[in-house]
Amino acid sequence: MATVANPNATIIAGETWELPKDRPWLAKMGRLARENPIGAVSLLVVVGFVFLGVVGASLTPYPPRELDATSQFLSPRLAHPFGTTKFGQDIFSRILAGARIDLKFGVVILFFGFFPGTALGILSGYFGRWLDYLIQRSGEAWGAFPQLFLLLTFVAAFGPGLRTVEMVVAIGALFGGSRIMRVVALVEKQKEYVIGARSTGASEFRLLWRHVLPNIMPFILVGLSSVFAAAVLVESALSFLGLGVSPGEPSWGADLSTGVGRGSTYPWLVIFPGAAISLVVLAFNLLGDTLRDILDPRLRGSTGAKR
Amino acid sequence: MLRYTLRRLSFLPIILIAVSIAVFVLLRVLPTSDIADVIGGQNATPEQKRAIREQYHLNDPIFPITFDTSVPFVGVQRNSQYSRWLFDALRGDFGKTYLSQKSVRSEFIRRFPASFEIVALSLFFSVSFGILFGILSAMYRNSPLDYFVRIFSVFGTSVPEFFLLSLLIIIPSYLWNYSAPVGGYVPIYDDPWTNLRLFLPAALIIGIGGSAGLMRLVRTTMLEVLRSDYVRTAKAKGLRQHTVVLTHALRNASTPILTAVGTAFIAVFGGSVIAERILSIDGNGLFLFQSTFSRDLPVIQFLAIYTATVVVLVNLVVDLSYAFADPRVKYS
Repeated sequence: MATVANPNATIIAGETWELPKDRPWLAKMGRLARENPIGAVSLLVVVGFVFLGVVGASLTPYPPRELDATSQFLSPRLAHPFGTTKFGQDIFSRILAGARIDLKFGVVILFFGFFPGTALGILSGYFGRWLDYLIQRSGEAWGAFPQLFLLLTFVAAFGPGLRTVEMVVAIGALFGGSRIMRVVALVEKQKEYVIGARSTGASEFRLLWRHVLPNIMPFILVGLSSVFAAAVLVESALSFLGLGVSPGEPSWGADLSTGVGRGSTYPWLVIFPGAAISLVVLAFNLLGDTLRDILDPRLRGSTGAKR
Repeated sequence: MLRYTLRRLSFLPIILIAVSIAVFVLLRVLPTSDIADVIGGQNATPEQKRAIREQYHLNDPIFPITFDTSVPFVGVQRNSQYSRWLFDALRGDFGKTYLSQKSVRSEFIRRFPASFEIVALSLFFSVSFGILFGILSAMYRNSPLDYFVRIFSVFGTSVPEFFLLSLLIIIPSYLWNYSAPVGGYVPIYDDPWTNLRLFLPAALIIGIGGSAGLMRLVRTTMLEVLRSDYVRTAKAKGLRQHTVVLTHALRNASTPILTAVGTAFIAVFGGSVIAERILSIDGNGLFLFQSTFSRDLPVIQFLAIYTATVVVLVNLVVDLSYAFADPRVKYS
């Protein structure tokens, strides 16, 4: 076949047309953002959260751990926008620094729970049989118990600390991810493109990696964002209960919990850490919903996105 | 139906034995810290610890069957910790708590009414709000009510319960000098006002927060069903709207909704632990929480069995309720 200088040019009977060029990706993103303002705002919050998680600890106006007896329980003001704690620590700085714990926690859950679970789910939906049976039955047994109960039992066994919490939540995400992806893979393997690719002699591995995986990416992205929402919720809940981070570490849940005792006199001790948790979880949930609406029209209509 | 129920119930002992073995492996086989330290305290002398180990049979093998690399590979042990626990449990004796030396069973029974009340109230709010507003939002799609329900259900799944419960304690006290009651359980038949003042706000928060997921599910399921042909037929023959929605649509949407009610129960059951902790309600959630910190093994073992029983029974009730809601479902 002759090479065409301009791939967008089509030559028919001596005439030349230009096919409309693809819009630059920035313009595409702009249009998507205008169509989904809620999604765009939540994406901004999520990006901000990830940014704070990476560099937040070095942006704090005051050292988040340092005690200062001269500035206890200051109400919100210009120098301390969110007020100060019982130990005179700046709450704003502690919230900036606290994003790191949740981000780290979420990433651990992704890599030790959700991603292996996704792989397991695809394999079990795709190949089925005893592997499928084993994974699904264990997942059901695990999921039957209240998560807090499992966490408490594991804390009794392994002692309190983020390691224990990570282990329990990662196992849950493993089974959760595998359950969703299994169904997706079951649907996907019946489709024509899989049969087509197989008939051209593609190996099973190539089929999974090059054909099935890109097609189920939307589900993985949606799952990713809900896993992060759940991770932030669980980390803060467990740190709130005193089972997560070690005392004194800047964690939103732990700060909220230490604030409750004096919260009726100094409500900012509770409101700002709680608002930080709620905002980030809300952003991940809304981002997941928006992604689902954009990427997979079949699932449309479950939330607020307009059409 | 009866045979199906009995068959399902016959699995219960097997599940409970599996759970108890799993808990034994977690708590006793994995050597994280010496239980003698837990009971005797950090300052216990080696002699005291030895006495404690002897008294609590901690030197005995954990399971009645041990595996060995030398012939004959499998050994049978008399007086293992597990068999001792199992035979006591079969007689209804779940041992004494390590710390207070009180019977686990009577401690559990004493705390049960408080936990039961908070779970029952929360579940009531969660199910009634979830189903009512889910149906209304599907019926009046894109109305202000529908938008409110959709926004609420996203917020309800995002704002954590412990934050709302903390606000419940601090906000009224900051604004109006009214301190919400904390702790001090009074049975509802003794003093309904004191009782409800403690439980109602907490149950509303856990219940309404928990209803968000249910609301969303009811809405999507009802939207699907309301589009179906039989609903159009029912409307066309002139039935009143609430007859169409309640008997024709809701009944056909009942299977996923009942599943979600079961899930809501399990969620509320877990959420009550947090509520009991924040409001210092002396229920079984707080019991489990404190025993976790003190590694009070008999308590954790018993509460694991209790939770497993509740989970199995709830799932059974949900499965059986399918048959009542949908005559096409038959168990034999």
